[in-house]
Amino acid sequence: MNRKSSALAWGLLFPTLAVLALFVLYPAAQSFWLSFQDVEPFSKRSFFVGFENYQVLFNSPDYWQTVRVTLFFLLYTVIPSLVISLTVAVLLDANPFFQNMFRTLFLLPVAISSSMAAMLWIFIYNPTAGFLNYALDVLGIHGPNWLADPDWALVAVAVATVWKEIGFNIIFFLAGLTSIPLELKEAAELDGANSWQVFRYVTLPLLSPTLFFVSVVSVINSLQSFGQIHILTTGGPMGETTTLVYNLYRDAFVKFRTGLASSEAVILFGLILLATMVQFRMAKKRVHYG
Amino acid sequence: MASVEIDRVKKQFGDIEVLKEVSLSIRSGEFVVLVGPSGCGKSTLLRMVAGLELPSAGNIAIDSQDVTTMAPKLRGVAMVFQNYALYPHMTVRDNLKFGLELAKVDKKEIGRRVNEAAEVLGLSAHLDKKPGQLSGGQKQRVAMGRAMVRQPKVFLFDEPLSNLDAQLRVKMRTEISHLHRRLSATSIYVTHDQVEAMTLADRIAVMYQGKLEQVGSPLELYQNPKTKFVASFIGTPSMNFLQGELLQSLKGNVQASSAGVRPEHTFLANTGQGECVFLGKGQIVLVEPLGSLAYIHVRIHDHYLVSELKSDRFPHAGETVEFMITIL
Repeated sequence: MNRKSSALAWGLLFPTLAVLALFVLYPAAQSFWLSFQDVEPFSKRSFFVGFENYQVLFNSPDYWQTVRVTLFFLLYTVIPSLVISLTVAVLLDANPFFQNMFRTLFLLPVAISSSMAAMLWIFIYNPTAGFLNYALDVLGIHGPNWLADPDWALVAVAVATVWKEIGFNIIFFLAGLTSIPLELKEAAELDGANSWQVFRYVTLPLLSPTLFFVSVVSVINSLQSFGQIHILTTGGPMGETTTLVYNLYRDAFVKFRTGLASSEAVILFGLILLATMVQFRMAKKRVHYG
Repeated sequence: MASVEIDRVKKQFGDIEVLKEVSLSIRSGEFVVLVGPSGCGKSTLLRMVAGLELPSAGNIAIDSQDVTTMAPKLRGVAMVFQNYALYPHMTVRDNLKFGLELAKVDKKEIGRRVNEAAEVLGLSAHLDKKPGQLSGGQKQRVAMGRAMVRQPKVFLFDEPLSNLDAQLRVKMRTEISHLHRRLSATSIYVTHDQVEAMTLADRIAVMYQGKLEQVGSPLELYQNPKTKFVASFIGTPSMNFLQGELLQSLKGNVQASSAGVRPEHTFLANTGQGECVFLGKGQIVLVEPLGSLAYIHVRIHDHYLVSELKSDRFPHAGETVEFMITIL
């Protein structure tokens, strides 16, 4: 590349790099630095405290409680979201007639803002006037106070999250399914495979790159979930819906413990990085690219 | 080995009638080629024999058993697809044994059949490769091997050579021919390439606009075509059709609205053997030299005719020549 085209390339990249540097790289570096500081609230004064913030977190039972909640939230959201969206996508792929209508229907929740969606679920979960308990009453079941019951609150938030996520996943799965040549399924059929075997031995392996991408994005999204928790439960009851991100928010913007919140951000970053690396490692053997 | 009976089969997609009451009997061990231009319904007919499409009317029987609505896997057929349809995530070995494993064939038997097919098709060194690492010809061989190991009653080929280059196509054509002689299996082969049809088939079924135009041996179709379409479709280059003033040149020899003359039965200037008829003077518009022979395209009045010229010296475009035909 000559000097002129190199200058042009940097010139074209500059706006993106500038925005990334200002809003992502600088705050990330700042967070990392602040995680080793004790920052006084409402002032610019801070003291280097080494790993003290991390020690406080790791010695706090409340923090381990948020780790537990986060892992359960991950389990309750990622697996159901992948299973439901993959099932719906496979059904839609097999019935192209319904595809357009249902694709729009399933994509609607993605288009609604998190806060609007959460408000909708507040109405559904309302213990006295909500649709869910009304429907359960009709069946003779007495529904709990979904968002205030420590046993049910996390599940309730997870259901709302899954509802909002599946449309996004369905679109990717449908695109992946459409790209699998029909001839391969027909060849498998002629080889003696039944519908399940065609799915298991042909469709699923060929869909693995999409499945991998969607699962990585779902894990990251789940670990970063905030809006629905904030509106539905504000982390309650008794911390049962306080995830790592929500705890971070409270430490940073309610309690103004900036140093501690920064170390939480670094830990969360490490956790997401670890989860993604594990997924990449697992993908090496199981994901087939063409 | 099994016979295939296609009895008054129709296929409609909405208002479009793709197949119009097609009947065809294929004897056990016979190699039948369905040939015709794109959209004539030949692939649809093959897919119906495979069970991948259901006929709108009519019946299909394999080995005297009605299979019209039977699932593909129960029909005892194996198909070689145009795009090979190899499972890209499996090795060649896994591709070959997939059908046998589903059929729960004994592991030793699977190994034996896979190794035998690999040896016959020259794939032994490639068994652990994925399809993406193979050439077009090798992929095609794997597709054939996958069909072979299942020992089906009927082999179905859907334009299997159309993705290969010309040289490889000739080679694979020979291999398919050898394979058929070796296995003596009933085979139905779809192609739009009439050279493939002529060289491979015991019998050719020419299809046009959803109908069977003519069924017969390659030479029968070449020498005694029953319709103008068959006459024009079989043979390279296509038969010349004489109409209007050119037909009048034949004087008393022909009493029809149109007459067909194959390019090899024509010659330029008065150099032919036997009885011949002068058709008219024309200008050469194109010379296609193929080595020992050339196709000479001549315009006489507003008619374009082709002559096959066997010589080591060919005329040039622009020259005026006398166009003659041989009376057989």
